[in-house]
Amino acid sequence: MSKPHYDREHHVKKATGIGDPQCFKGEAGQPKFKVGDKVRVRDLPDIFYNRTQVYTRGAPATVAELVYESPAAEDEAWDNTDKVVWFYSLVFKQKDLWPDYPDAFANDTVETELPERWLEPL
Amino acid sequence: MAEKHKPAPMVDEVSEFEVLEIAVRELAIEKGLFTAEDHQRWTEYMHTLGPLPAARLVAKAWLDPEFKKLAVEDGVKASLEVGIDWVNSMPTHFGTPSDYCNLRVLEDTPKLKHVVVCTLCSCYPRPILGQSPEWYRTPNYRRRLVRWPRQVLAEFGLQLPEDVEVRVEDSNQKSRFIVLPVRPEGTEGWSEEQLAEIVTRDCLIGVAVPKPGKTANDPRPVRPAVNPYHH
Amino acid sequence: MAEINPKYFELDKEMRDRNLDESTPVSLLEDVKDKGRVWDDLCEQYGVDNPDPPWRITLEATCDMLAGGYWETFNVCKPKEERNPEEEQKHLDAVERRWEEDQLVNKYYDEIPFPERQLLALAHTLIRRGLFDEEELARRMEEIDRRLNSV
Repeated sequence: MSKPHYDREHHVKKATGIGDPQCFKGEAGQPKFKVGDKVRVRDLPDIFYNRTQVYTRGAPATVAELVYESPAAEDEAWDNTDKVVWFYSLVFKQKDLWPDYPDAFANDTVETELPERWLEPL
Repeated sequence: MAEKHKPAPMVDEVSEFEVLEIAVRELAIEKGLFTAEDHQRWTEYMHTLGPLPAARLVAKAWLDPEFKKLAVEDGVKASLEVGIDWVNSMPTHFGTPSDYCNLRVLEDTPKLKHVVVCTLCSCYPRPILGQSPEWYRTPNYRRRLVRWPRQVLAEFGLQLPEDVEVRVEDSNQKSRFIVLPVRPEGTEGWSEEQLAEIVTRDCLIGVAVPKPGKTANDPRPVRPAVNPYHH
Repeated sequence: MAEINPKYFELDKEMRDRNLDESTPVSLLEDVKDKGRVWDDLCEQYGVDNPDPPWRITLEATCDMLAGGYWETFNVCKPKEERNPEEEQKHLDAVERRWEEDQLVNKYYDEIPFPERQLLALAHTLIRRGLFDEEELARRMEEIDRRLNSV
């Protein structure tokens, strides 16, 4: 049985002169959400590594921008870069994240980026 | 009569830490983790990094509304105009391992103040801003800013009116951020250099606002934690 | 949950074995911690202004190099018999390194300022992961000590 060849330089070849995340542009297909959409962060199980902060889980947010296409961090960490998804910049109201956030500062927000699989329509 | 020049003060002893750094690096090279040449190239590149390009980007944006529009829409393209190529000026030619290539410039308004943090580790826009300060990397800052932004900003000497939206930007993925603060009063007719001088690193992170006459970051003393983090 | 890679479950035990709660102090590094002179003290003694020691940037470069100049990652999805443990443990992902740094500094190096604490945490992480051992590091430090102090 022949050993599968693992190409440890595939990222170099893909991204040189182009940049990361630019090298994944066009690979994610149609985005599910658009600017202005109201979404909620899914509380998916934490298997090892991801970059979806615990404080965002279950919280409502508004899509501020479609920022780039890229493999999600939880896939990229294991070098599964075949699946490319849309990343969104999301704005959360602080009052929705922390119930005892002072009413005096009701306008305050947090903005952060998350890949599409972590979001569902509100 | 020859003038006597006092030599600049120098640290005249070798500390164990200096020895440890060299030892770790030499062993890593011998084990083949990386090459001395790559390390040298990277170090030389890092020595070129500092906050001036970001300050100039802000100054340019203040002076030219078209450039400001570009900066907000395409931070990577705008960076080229201050000499920073997020893709190609890095030794790898596809960005650095921790900085990627997606600069986002966050535009403040009189009603919106941005401040940047990376709660997960301490991501920072090094190619355009240089090395991060120590306080930015501490769990103290990273944990508290997203939860108690106004209290933390007050510790930095910045207090904002209630109706201003304080937006904490949690830099958790591939984007890196700098803040484009509101241009302060008292700077009418200033040149790009004069403007860039008051855009300090702390203004670009968002924990300070630019003021005429203020061209340096405040010192940040370290205090022990009130509620230390235990395992 | 069709989206989750089933190989994650196979590797569960392996990753749990890397739990940092089981870390132990490294006596060589405890010595450096106790006897080493930090840059803040050296600056004060010699009247030097520079906020950072000259090795701060070389240390940052080392951390970047370990994170992989070519984006190599732990390929734990390879079948077990094809993995080369030595090669796999070669690199230290930046986020993992930072996380371990926070844990180790909190546990052992809390009184030490930055960047000395980053250096101690890095050395500790590399020893824990088996990239080199304490004796090797100690021998190398002695050699460098002789080299630098012989002039």
